[in-house]
Amino acid sequence: MNDHRNMILAIVLSAIILFGWGFVTEHYFPTATAPSTKVVEGKQVALPQPGADPSADAPVAIRSREAVLAETPRVAIQTPRLEGSINLTGARIDDLVLTTYRESLAKDSPPIRLLSPSGTSNAYFAGFGWTAQGVAAPAADTVWQASGNRLTPTTPVTLSWDNGQGQRFEIRFSVDDGYMFTADQKVINTGNGAIAARPYALVSRASASQDPDSWTMHVGPVGVFNGAANYDFGYDDIIDEGDQNFTSRGGWLGFTDKYWLTALVADQGSNVDASFRRGPSGSFQTDFAAAPAIVPAGKAVSYQSRFFAGAKEVQLLEKYTDAGVPRLDKAIDWGWFEWFMKPIFSLLNWLYDVIGNFGLAIIGLTLIVRILMFPIAQKQFRSMAGMRVLQPKMKALQDRYKDDKPKLQQEMLKLYQEEKVNPMAGCLPILIQIPIFYALYKVLMLAVEMRHKPFFLWIKDLSAHDPLTPVNLFGYLPFTPPTFLALGVLPIILGITMWLQFKLNPPPMDPVQKQVFALMPWVFMFIMAPFAVGLIIYWITNNILTIAQQKWLYSRHPGALDQPVAKAETK
Amino acid sequence: MIAKLLILIAKGWQRGPSLILPPSCRFQPSCSAYAITALGRYGALRGSWLAARRLLRCHPWGGSGYDPVP
Repeated sequence: MNDHRNMILAIVLSAIILFGWGFVTEHYFPTATAPSTKVVEGKQVALPQPGADPSADAPVAIRSREAVLAETPRVAIQTPRLEGSINLTGARIDDLVLTTYRESLAKDSPPIRLLSPSGTSNAYFAGFGWTAQGVAAPAADTVWQASGNRLTPTTPVTLSWDNGQGQRFEIRFSVDDGYMFTADQKVINTGNGAIAARPYALVSRASASQDPDSWTMHVGPVGVFNGAANYDFGYDDIIDEGDQNFTSRGGWLGFTDKYWLTALVADQGSNVDASFRRGPSGSFQTDFAAAPAIVPAGKAVSYQSRFFAGAKEVQLLEKYTDAGVPRLDKAIDWGWFEWFMKPIFSLLNWLYDVIGNFGLAIIGLTLIVRILMFPIAQKQFRSMAGMRVLQPKMKALQDRYKDDKPKLQQEMLKLYQEEKVNPMAGCLPILIQIPIFYALYKVLMLAVEMRHKPFFLWIKDLSAHDPLTPVNLFGYLPFTPPTFLALGVLPIILGITMWLQFKLNPPPMDPVQKQVFALMPWVFMFIMAPFAVGLIIYWITNNILTIAQQKWLYSRHPGALDQPVAKAETK
Repeated sequence: MIAKLLILIAKGWQRGPSLILPPSCRFQPSCSAYAITALGRYGALRGSWLAARRLLRCHPWGGSGYDPVP
């Protein structure tokens, strides 16, 4: 009987968090202050300004991607998960699609495009280079020579450029079969005197992400500086509060979408000046610059940075974290309850590996949770049945304190204490379930592993809301109802199972509460409708299991039903 | 200050979720009332500690009955 209460509680809290907090944060950070474009001074060497993005400054120059790709010489990128090219003009990785993810569920849907060259709409690219004092350093319009025409996990490509003043710059790109590029930036000084060159790397994107930044999910510039993750700045904050500068030993920074991430990883032994900033054309940029390296005549100095561009797959991020990219797994903003969500995610993912269907895996998860909670329900029922013995004594108390309710309650509790029985389960079993529900909510929302995962029949994506709704006669009427009205089939089943489950409980004494309970299933039906189907499947399964459990326990403890449980209530 | 905020949360709990939930209290006073008293009497740190301990006892294997704030 405490079970539906658990879920209600969970959803009420989730609802407060979801809607209330979004509202609060929105009103806490008004977007009215004037933007500040002041750049903080660098140290002894002029801070690199790798933001210069010529075509983004002139939006008239926006052309089709095909045209832009054809304009400059390129080196193809081909890996099991990635396809695209490196722009030899400017040494930029600016053309990349994730071949294992599709834009939508349509059969002919194109793969997800992560990076796109400057000059196209939604330009988004990474660049590597140097700023140097007194010698010519490569610029955005520098055309590099490539050592090969294809970058694959087995064939690295080296880009080189001679500045004609005795210095040669080389960038050796390599890529693994995940999402990690490595760029070895080397300056070879064949001139007469020492030079100073400062390697930098940047990621620039023309516009903010289409994914919303919310209290439960960070979208925007992200980074790990000195071992601590920074989720503090959204795109709006960069516009309102101006550029953000950091100094860090090692670390990484980039942009995160809901599912996708670009991250520049510094050499972990180096100190870097990093920043989240706006480009001159209103683009957004994250970059870092290492300390200037002094290259004596006849010597070479190199710097290694890495670049992650891909999907935030938990296991892959963890693998890179273990391989020395500090806290790359933090690119997924699990929030305060990461310690709890990760195990839930791992369990769910393991179930998926075993079963092969995410919907069934969610049902399996529900089953496991119910089995773990079962002793609580059983113990409670045993107590309820045990109260039968107390019936005469309780009757006596009720007669004695007929007119003094608080006293009656106190005396009854005293009686329970003496007899060591109590029909109530207490609040802890309720509280335990909140994080489970919230964890599942977040996993379904955040994890790219849940994206586009089908269940059965019409459920093709468990992380989206139920698309089949009677409001438009299951799609036979030619309109799409607004989200808050689009009551799906599964939410309706949720309402029905909830109603059935409520009916099994002893009715509350208080008439107002009775009314509330009668209404509750239908209210929640509407509240839950816009949520991920996976969450609703969890809840429906939970309801069905609760109903089965109640029936079974009632049949085993026939005495439990006719106990005046509700009379013992204390609020 | 923090204690006041925590008391506010506990009161919010009583006014909101707790109202629509069926009764579950094994103890007298209830956990939220206990927390409010404890926070008021002992401050944020010790008050939360007492409230947390009470919550951890509030399950079918825990105690029950009259259990006031010490």
